Amino acid sequence: MDFALNEEQRIFRETIYRFAREQIAPLCEEADLKGEFSFEIWRKMAEIGLLGLPYPEKYGGSGADFVMCCLAGEAMGHALVDGGHTLAWGAHTYLCGADILLHGTEEQKTKYLPRMATGEWIGCMALTEPSCGSDAGALLTRALKKGDRYILNGSKTFITNAPIADVFVVFATLDRAKKHKGITAFIVEKGTPGLSTGRPMHKMGCRCSTTSEVFLEDCEIPIENCLGGEYNGWNIALGGVEWDRSILLSPSLGGAMATIGMCSRYANERWAFGHPIRDFQSIQNRIADMRVFLEVSKLAVYRVAASKDSGLKLNPLLAAVNKMYIGDRGFEINSCAVDLFGGYGYIHEFPVERGMRDAKLGQLGGGTSDIMRMIVARALLG
Amino acid sequence: MNYDLTDAQKALQSSMRSVARDIVEVPEEAGAGTLKKNMEIIAGIDYPSLILGEDIVGYCVAGEELAKICPSTFFSAMSSAAAFGLPVRRFGTEEQKKRYLDPILAGEGFGALAVTEATAGSDVAGITTTARRTDEGRWVLNGAKSFVTNAPAAGAFLVLAWTDKEAGKEKGLTFFLIDRQARGVNITEPGEMMGLRGVEIAELQFSECEIGPDAVLGKSGDGSGQLISIMPLIWISVALLALGIGISCMENSVFYARSRTAFGKPIGYFEGVGAKLAIMFTMIDLGRMIIHRAAWGMEQRQSEAAILAACAKLFTSESVNKIADLAMQIHAGHGYVKGSKVERLYRDARAAEILYGTSEMLRAYIAEDSLSRFSPEQNMMPDKEARVLFA
Repeated sequence: MDFALNEEQRIFRETIYRFAREQIAPLCEEADLKGEFSFEIWRKMAEIGLLGLPYPEKYGGSGADFVMCCLAGEAMGHALVDGGHTLAWGAHTYLCGADILLHGTEEQKTKYLPRMATGEWIGCMALTEPSCGSDAGALLTRALKKGDRYILNGSKTFITNAPIADVFVVFATLDRAKKHKGITAFIVEKGTPGLSTGRPMHKMGCRCSTTSEVFLEDCEIPIENCLGGEYNGWNIALGGVEWDRSILLSPSLGGAMATIGMCSRYANERWAFGHPIRDFQSIQNRIADMRVFLEVSKLAVYRVAASKDSGLKLNPLLAAVNKMYIGDRGFEINSCAVDLFGGYGYIHEFPVERGMRDAKLGQLGGGTSDIMRMIVARALLG
Repeated sequence: MNYDLTDAQKALQSSMRSVARDIVEVPEEAGAGTLKKNMEIIAGIDYPSLILGEDIVGYCVAGEELAKICPSTFFSAMSSAAAFGLPVRRFGTEEQKKRYLDPILAGEGFGALAVTEATAGSDVAGITTTARRTDEGRWVLNGAKSFVTNAPAAGAFLVLAWTDKEAGKEKGLTFFLIDRQARGVNITEPGEMMGLRGVEIAELQFSECEIGPDAVLGKSGDGSGQLISIMPLIWISVALLALGIGISCMENSVFYARSRTAFGKPIGYFEGVGAKLAIMFTMIDLGRMIIHRAAWGMEQRQSEAAILAACAKLFTSESVNKIADLAMQIHAGHGYVKGSKVERLYRDARAAEILYGTSEMLRAYIAEDSLSRFSPEQNMMPDKEARVLFA
C-alpha cells in the first residue's frame, strides 16, 4: 500500500498547476460569463500537452498513464480553470480520442490522433439521443451497410464539442433487433454531407463547453470509418465510462482544493458580530465537510487510476461508487461553499458561484447518480 | 501508487476470519462470560499486540473482521489495548508496561481509560478530578469519572487529573495508573447503554485515593500531550467499529433484499430498496479507504495523519448512522422487533458519532487545519498553495 506521489508525478502536477493558474485561469471568468469556448485557452492546453496526454508519442502525445492524466485534471481544477474547458478537453481527448486510440486501426490512429493532440482537430463522442440517455442501449440512430459505404440516420443530443468538432465518434445500430449488441461505432468527419449540428445549447454550468445536437440525414461514410469492428459499439461505449468515472472526475477533486482555500481565506477575513466568521461552528462545519470530501474523493479517483495503470480491467462497481459520491457529494459541497460566502457566493465574480453550477453536471453527465446506484445495486443482488 | 494489501496483511485478515467462527456475539444481557471468552480467542491470534503494533493497516484489516462479528468485543478490546494500552506503551516505564500492559497483551484482563466526567466530556479541561502531592511525594486523588469503558472488569485504570490548575491544560494535567484494589477507589453500579450492550461501563469514584509516585505516567503535567498523541489511533479504531457495524447492516440488508419478495420480485429490484443498498455499499467502500489511508499515513509518520484519522472517524461514524437507518427501513417490521439483528445494529451504530470525540469536536479540529493555512498572516502565494493541499 502506497498513496504517495513520486517526484516525477509531483513535478508534473505542479507544472500543470502553475501554467494553468498563470496562463489559463485568468481567462476563464470572462469566458464563463460570456458562455463562450475560448480557442486561446484551447491553444494553451495544447501547448502544455494536455490534449494528447495519454496518446503514445508516435501519435503526438506524451504517453501519460492514468495517474498522470488524473493529476493533470486535478491541477487544472485546482487552478480554477472552469468546468466548461475541462469538460471540452475531457470529451475531446478521452471520450473521443481514446476510443480511436483503443479501438482504431493503424490508419485511423495515424490520421486522427496527431491532429487531435495538437488541438487542430477537435473531437466529440456522440452516444446520447433525445429519447435515450440512461438507456443508451436502446439508441435509435441507424447504420445501413450498402456496398462500400455506411449510411447513417438519426440524431444525437447534449454532445459536448459538437458545434466546433472536426471528428465525430458516432454510435449507431446496424440491427435494432440485436438491441445493444447491434451498436457499432463510426468516425464521421466534419463536412461530410448529411452531418450537421444544432445551435449551441445554453447550459446551467460548464458554459464554455459547446454542446449541441448532431443530425445525421443519409450521411454516407466510407467503410474504413467503422471504428473497432461491427457490432462492437456497446463494448466501446462501456469502455468509455472508464474515463467518465476517473479522469473526468479529477477536475472536481482539484476544484475542491481550490474551494477549501477560498473558503478558508474568506472565513478568516470576513467579520460578523465581532468575530472573523471562522469562529462560528456553522462555518467550520462546512470547511470540515469539504476537507472530508477532498480526502475521500482523492482516494476514490486514484484508486481507479492506479488499478488501470497496473493493468487491471476497470471494476464497474468501484467506478460507479466514484461517480456517485463525487457527483452527489461534490454538488453538496459546492453548494456549501456558496452558503459560506453568503451573498458574494451568488455573484459571478466569486468562483464558488460557477463552481456550484459546474458541479451539478457531476450528478447527471456521463451517467446519472440514479444509474450509478442501479449499477451498484444490481452487482450486490447478483 | 498502490492500494493493495501486503501478503502479511492478507494473512492477518485470514487469521481473524478463521477465529471468527469461534467468536460468539456478546449477548445484550449477562454477557461478561462471553466477552471474556472472545478476548481470549483474539489474544490467541495476538490481536492485542496488533492493535499496538507498527502495522496499523494490518490492525485495520483484522479489526474490521472483528468489528463485523461483534462490535462489543471490538470496542472492549480497543478501549483496553488502545485507549488504555497505547499511552502505557508509549510513555510508561518498563515496570509499568510489565505490570499493566502484559496482561492485556495476553488477553487476561482489561484496562480502562478514565478521562470523561459527568460535567466534562468534549471540554477535557473542564474535568474536576484533582491529584494533590503529599510531603512524601505521593499523590492523593479526589473526583469521579463517568462512562468508563471496561470499568467493571478492569484490573487497572488510567486516570486524568489536575495536578496544577494554575499551569493550564497544556502543563497542568497528569495521567495516573491506578490499580482496581487501591484504597479510595470505588466502582459503582455498571451503566446501561442503548447499544454496544456487550460492553461494560461504570462510574469511578476516587475518595482520598492515595497512590505512589510510580503511578504517574511519564511526568507530571504530560497528560494533555499524551492524550492528544493517542487520538489518531483511537479515531481509527472507532472508524473501524463504525465500518464493521455498517458492513453487518449491509450484508443483512442484501440478504433480505434478495430473499424477501413483494409484487412479484425480490424487493432489491425496486429502486426504493436497491438504491439504499447502493448507498450503503458506497459509504462502506469509501470509508474503508479513508481508514486505510489514515492508517498508512500514521505508519509513514505523515504530518497530516492525525487529520486523516479524524476524517476517517467523522466520515464512517456519520455514515454508519445513515446505513443503520437504511437497513432498518429495508427490513421494515422485521427490523423493528426486538431480537432482530438489525434492531441491535441500529442501536449499536448510534454510539459511533459520540465515542472518543463527537462529530462536532472533530469538525472543529479538521476545519482548524485548513483555516490556519489560509489566515491573513500566511498570505499564501500560488505556488505555496500548490504544495500545501495535495498528496
